This record gives sequence, C-alpha cells and structure tokens, in this order.
Amino acid sequence: MSDYKAIVIGGSAGSFAVVLKMLSKLRQDFELPIIICMHRLKHIRSGLAENLDLKSNMKVVEPYDKERIEKGKVYLAPANYHMFVEFDGTISLSVEEMNNQSRPSIDYTLSSAAMAYREKCIGIILTGANKDGAKGLKDIADKNGFTIVQDPQTAEVDTMPKAALKLIKPNLVLSPDGITDFLNKLK
Amino acid sequence: MDFKQFLKSFKNRTGYDFCDYSDNSISRRLEKICEGTGLTFEQMLDKSLIDTTFRNKVIDEITVNTTELFRDPATWISLYKTLYQQLPKSPNITFWHIGCSRGLEVYSNLILMHQMGLFDKCRVIGTDINPRVLDIARQGEYAYKFNLYFKDNFDEVMKGCGLNAKFEDYFDIDEHNDTMKIKSFMTERPSFIIQNLVQDKIPFAYKVDVVFFRNVMIYFNEKLQNKIMASVCTKMYDGAALILGRQESLTSLMSTRFTKMGQFYQKKA
Repeated sequence: MSDYKAIVIGGSAGSFAVVLKMLSKLRQDFELPIIICMHRLKHIRSGLAENLDLKSNMKVVEPYDKERIEKGKVYLAPANYHMFVEFDGTISLSVEEMNNQSRPSIDYTLSSAAMAYREKCIGIILTGANKDGAKGLKDIADKNGFTIVQDPQTAEVDTMPKAALKLIKPNLVLSPDGITDFLNKLK
Repeated sequence: MDFKQFLKSFKNRTGYDFCDYSDNSISRRLEKICEGTGLTFEQMLDKSLIDTTFRNKVIDEITVNTTELFRDPATWISLYKTLYQQLPKSPNITFWHIGCSRGLEVYSNLILMHQMGLFDKCRVIGTDINPRVLDIARQGEYAYKFNLYFKDNFDEVMKGCGLNAKFEDYFDIDEHNDTMKIKSFMTERPSFIIQNLVQDKIPFAYKVDVVFFRNVMIYFNEKLQNKIMASVCTKMYDGAALILGRQESLTSLMSTRFTKMGQFYQKKA
C-alpha cells in the first residue's frame, strides 16, 4: 500500500449498499485511509456513519473541520457540508453553494484529493443518478492517480459511472466485488 | 502572481484582509472568480482598485453566504431542550449571531424565543462582513420555491420541540411573486451591523449571553481562529453559551476556556 496515500470514493443513488459491502469485506489489516463522498437524502442526517462503522473493520467517522487524516480510518462527508482534502493532510469542510445540485459535491472531494495526493491517490466512482464526480475523477487521472469506475452494467443507476467513462478511460472498470478484490490485493 | 500574493496585495491596497483564510477554500473561490470573469489575479487586483462595485463583488464571492432556516434541525431541537431551558432570568437576553449572512439563523432563534414567551426580552445582533446580505437580512424576504425546505426544517423543529407553531405564523407567503417574507414584528427586532471580524472592533458595547458562530471559523486558519475567539470571549458573560457548526470544534488553545455541553460550549468563569 506504500504506493498510495489514500482512496477516495464517490457515489450517489445505490452506492450506500455498495460501500457497505466493500467496507465489510476489506481485510482486517487494511490501513489506507478511505475518503468517501456520497450524496444522501437531505433529511437523513445521521446514522449513515454509524451503520457503516458497525459493518466495517475500519473506524468510520464524519470528520470535524481540520481533522487529521489517519491510517485505518474511513472519512464520510457529513450531510450538508462539502469535504476537501488539504495539502497538510487534514480534512476541511465548507457550507458554500451546492455544486452539481449537491452538497457534499463529489467533484470537490475528488479534485482536492487529486491536488493533495497527486499520483498517490486511488479514485473510485460508483453507481449514481448524477454527473457529479466525473470531473473530479478526471482531475485524479490528470495527476496520474489510479482510477476505477464501477461497471455500469452492475450499477443500480448508471448515470454517474457513464459520465465518468465519457470523460476518461479509467485504469479499471470493475464490479463492486472486483473493486473490493482489487483493494484487498494492494501491497 | 499566485493567490497568496493576490491576497497580500488586496489587503495592502483595499484594507480587506483575507490572508489567514484557509488556503484550499480561498484559492478555490478565487479561481472561481477568475473563471467567471476571465480575469487574471493581476487584472482582478487592478479592477478592484478602481471599481468599487467590482471590489464588492469579489468580497461577495470570497465570503460564503449560505444560511437557511433551522439549519440542522436536530441541533435546534437539542438547543431548545437544553440551553433554552436554562437561559438567564435577567430582564434582557442578548444574542450575537456572527457571520449572520441573510439572517435566517437570527430569525430561527427569534421564532423559538417567541414561542417561549421570551421575545420581548431579546436583544439580538447580527454581524457580517458583507453589506449586501445584511440588507437582505433586514428585509427578511427570500425566494419561496427555491427555499421550500425551510418549511420542512421549521416543521421538523416544531415537532421535535413539541411546539404547535405554523410556518404562516412567521412568514407571509406570496406564491405569485415567489417570495416569503418574515413578518414585520420579527424583522423590527434585530440589529444588523457590518463587521469585518478580522480587522474591525466589535461594534457594540454590551456583553452577550449566547453567541451563534456556526460554520464561519471553518474558513479561517488556526492562528486566526485563536485570535478571533479570544476577542469574542471578551464579549461573553461567564457562563455564556457558544454554538458552533455541527462539524466544528474549538482549537486546543481555546477549548480550555469552555466546557462542552452537548450542542453548545459554556464559557468558564
């Protein structure tokens, strides 16, 4: 895992189940930080991180502003906040305008990770009914980071993976199980 | 010229100091202005010096003006059940909303005070760096359809607090013109005052019982957070309450001066 500093994941409709399954199947000693930006229904403000935390070997948190990113932890964008990775390895939050009708915006999280980690970042786009995230994944690809898009045929809603595939040719197109296997094989 | 050099020159030549805003946030917002206007940092700087309207537009875009009625309903319900039940019994209760933007949090608080029969005791100040949003706060008029979820937040809070108020008790809705306006008995109450937190003195003389300071300090670096919180503290009574955004915390230096009480912080004596 020494080649990479973090994994950033974006998803919308249908992605909660995918993320839940992935986190529950990651190997015990998985230590790369995982930074997740998922759109969620506005009225569901809590419980998401707790649910993921129960099923995951890693500690899942909704970070506070300026919280340091640590190994072995999963960071979930809090409801109604944009989440960014800063150059100094901390998370920052913002309540500024929506982006792609979304707050949190996946583009914001992925683009900031691309800036902060450059080629040492793995970006993943999952199922979703929105184009948010495609541009962010392209930013990761442009910095020579590693990019994965969920196979649209396995997506509950294929708008988001298709939008990403339209912008870039990712390193891999995989099913959810394929993504988990790939992560578990990282050295 | 990079964004840091821009901010330094902007400060030296206009007096507005954004140098200690967090890098990622401010650089992203400046890049957005560049994209939107097609100007470079140098051109933006030159234009801000000769064109006040443009300068105000830059300030407007740098600062984040998000505000909503009863943002994070769970926070309001918790405050109602804890802090609001133990407000001082003094003749006046003074509230200060820092970075109040278009005033919706000011009115959220006032609605609850009104429901509790404390409205007439309330002294309320809202401060912000941006004159444009303060004008909107004074008017208390907002787009209706775009902000329909205000009503959802309102209903959720009333239900959670066990109160029976209706949205229409506080808002005049004009669907034809797509506006909702806070009723005038409410808008007459608060004072909205311009304040640049980084440079200006606090623009009122008295001390306050409750400070709302939500989602403002997330845009500042730690050094600036400490400086501003120290100054805010001088205006707070011992035992006064400080309310931060849901995902915010005090710096380690400032946290020694407060006790955390669930959704709010209480200033130690």
